[in-house]
Amino acid sequence: MESFNPDYVLILSGDHIYKMDYEVMLDFHKATNADVSIAVMPVPMEEASRFGIVIADDQNTITEFQEKPEHPKSNLASMGIYIFSWKVLKEALITMSDVNGCDFGKHIIPYCHENGRKMVAYEYNGYWKDVGTLGSYWEANMELIDIIPEFNLYEEFWKIYTKTDIIPPQYVSGEAKIFRSLIGDGSEIYGEVENSVIGAGVTIGRGAVVRNSIIMKETKIDEGAVIDKAIIAENVEIGRGAILGIGEEVPNKVKPNIYSFGLVTVGENSYIPANVKIGKNTAISGITTPEDYPDGVLESGETLIKAGEIS
Amino acid sequence: MRAVGIILAGGNNYRMRELSNKRAIAAMPVAGSYRAIDFALSNMTNSSVQKVAVLTQYNARSLNEHLSSSKWWDFGRKQGGLFVFTPTVTHDNSFWYRGTADAIGQNLDFLKKCHEPYVIIASGDGVYKMDYNKVLEYHIEKKADITVVCKDVEPGEDVTRFGVVKMNEDCRIEDFEEKPMISTSHTISTGIYVIRRRQLIELIERCVQEERHDFVKDILIRYKNLKRIYGYKITDYWSSISTVESYYKTNMDFLKKEVRDYFFRQYPDVYSKVDDLPPAKYNPGSEVKNSLVSSGCIVNGYVENSILFKKVFVGDNCVIKNSIILNDVYLGDNTHIENCIVESRDTIRANSYHIGEDGIKIVIEKNERYVL
Repeated sequence: MESFNPDYVLILSGDHIYKMDYEVMLDFHKATNADVSIAVMPVPMEEASRFGIVIADDQNTITEFQEKPEHPKSNLASMGIYIFSWKVLKEALITMSDVNGCDFGKHIIPYCHENGRKMVAYEYNGYWKDVGTLGSYWEANMELIDIIPEFNLYEEFWKIYTKTDIIPPQYVSGEAKIFRSLIGDGSEIYGEVENSVIGAGVTIGRGAVVRNSIIMKETKIDEGAVIDKAIIAENVEIGRGAILGIGEEVPNKVKPNIYSFGLVTVGENSYIPANVKIGKNTAISGITTPEDYPDGVLESGETLIKAGEIS
Repeated sequence: MRAVGIILAGGNNYRMRELSNKRAIAAMPVAGSYRAIDFALSNMTNSSVQKVAVLTQYNARSLNEHLSSSKWWDFGRKQGGLFVFTPTVTHDNSFWYRGTADAIGQNLDFLKKCHEPYVIIASGDGVYKMDYNKVLEYHIEKKADITVVCKDVEPGEDVTRFGVVKMNEDCRIEDFEEKPMISTSHTISTGIYVIRRRQLIELIERCVQEERHDFVKDILIRYKNLKRIYGYKITDYWSSISTVESYYKTNMDFLKKEVRDYFFRQYPDVYSKVDDLPPAKYNPGSEVKNSLVSSGCIVNGYVENSILFKKVFVGDNCVIKNSIILNDVYLGDNTHIENCIVESRDTIRANSYHIGEDGIKIVIEKNERYVL
């Protein structure tokens, strides 16, 4: 940081889906003579207790913070996007350098507030989504499928850039059926896809059905497999006739807070053998074999973690 | 690699009909996500050729745009890399490239400055994968002066757009006919040659002196009894897209699994310039059968046996059959397109009806997309 010697520092999260012109926020920061600007978004009052809440006066100056309050005093949620004047940030970082697990939300922002720095709330109105949980990640993907999604990737204005390493077009065969879905480059679709987001280089075999799911790059869904409400990471193979996402919703036994929302979560480079059945709120990772599935079933709420990678 | 590459991408011909009105053939979009020249360029880089010159003149803008960065084919390097040469007016020359030999002749300085002992000459309109090293090894083994890559076509196939060769048992080319009306041979030249660099310079300098401009007529045919010209036969997929019919057929070949697997899945890859486009979107009402769909497309209608290039919008109740829809085309609702090639960046108004009755129809409407 010293070698850059900036006037301002913009702090962002990598797990947010939104389009924002930071220049406008910086202009606001300068115009209000702020030391710290925090981007905030109005949320419905009844949901406000899930967020870090910012209370500001009519000059946008922040007077108080509430972290996931039971009785929120405002509906402005912090988006975790900050602009600091570098001198202020530097002083705070040096002072707080001994704090274990020093965190912007928990330590740096409260420190600046307590020391009388001028903190302002920059109100943002538009689509913004934190995809830091499996549920919100799944939801954000499903929202992209809408006919005119609130977050539109197809506008010429404000393009979203990415790294691409799969170039060829996707092939949709004569027997394939696709309904309300997004499909990436180089995929080959022979089965049925409904309400799903399919990454690049994915193969969906004959008779396979994928519904309400996210399938990532280069994963292979073999013939006749049925997948409902799953997140399947890169380079996974789901064996023939396997059925994912059946049965009742039971909380995950190991990490109920993470593996929830009724999802089946499959980690990257995993293999799921043919004809097994897998319940909801489950997590699977690694090369699994038929022996890992008692009576061919992984019940809802179970976790199955094995080592190994498919070649 | 001990060779420098030259890609002849200057050409244009009436057989491409309206499709070459706005671009060089080498810049024609192929197989949804590629341009024709990507195949030759990828072959060069996959064969470890480190220096490639693309010679172009006609409607070069589209091609220049595609080649604006050399990194896509891994030519962004300090030594060598990708060079694009269009004709320039100088003290000694005020002509366009008057032929393939003239194109090389006007860029002899480039060849003279190279140090690689061999030159690989390819054209920009071939769709194929080839390790040029194998041709070079063959060239050296045969002690050839020029090696011509050849392919057998089905007896009865129209050869009037190709050079047709006859070889002896040793594969030395004894006869070479340029674009004959009928021929007894069904071995054609693919327009890919290997030649020693000094030999090429010598032959081209002679052409320049004698005001001869064509590589095939004035070098291959003229020298065939004097120089050792050999044929190297290939059996793998190779197609030239230089007519509307062959362009259509080559694209449709990619609906076959074995062709897709060969080009898209088997090592080595074919590279292209990459755009930042979202995945293809299938809205309710869309039905797609046996088709290729590229990124950035939004489909609301029926698509069968067709190829949608990038950023195609298919409106509600459209019917697209046996057609090629080039990049960034907007098809209004209820449009019917059958046996057509729709030119890129076009806007087809709602309720349009286009059908190629006998042969492929090229659709160019040039409507405004946004009317205020």
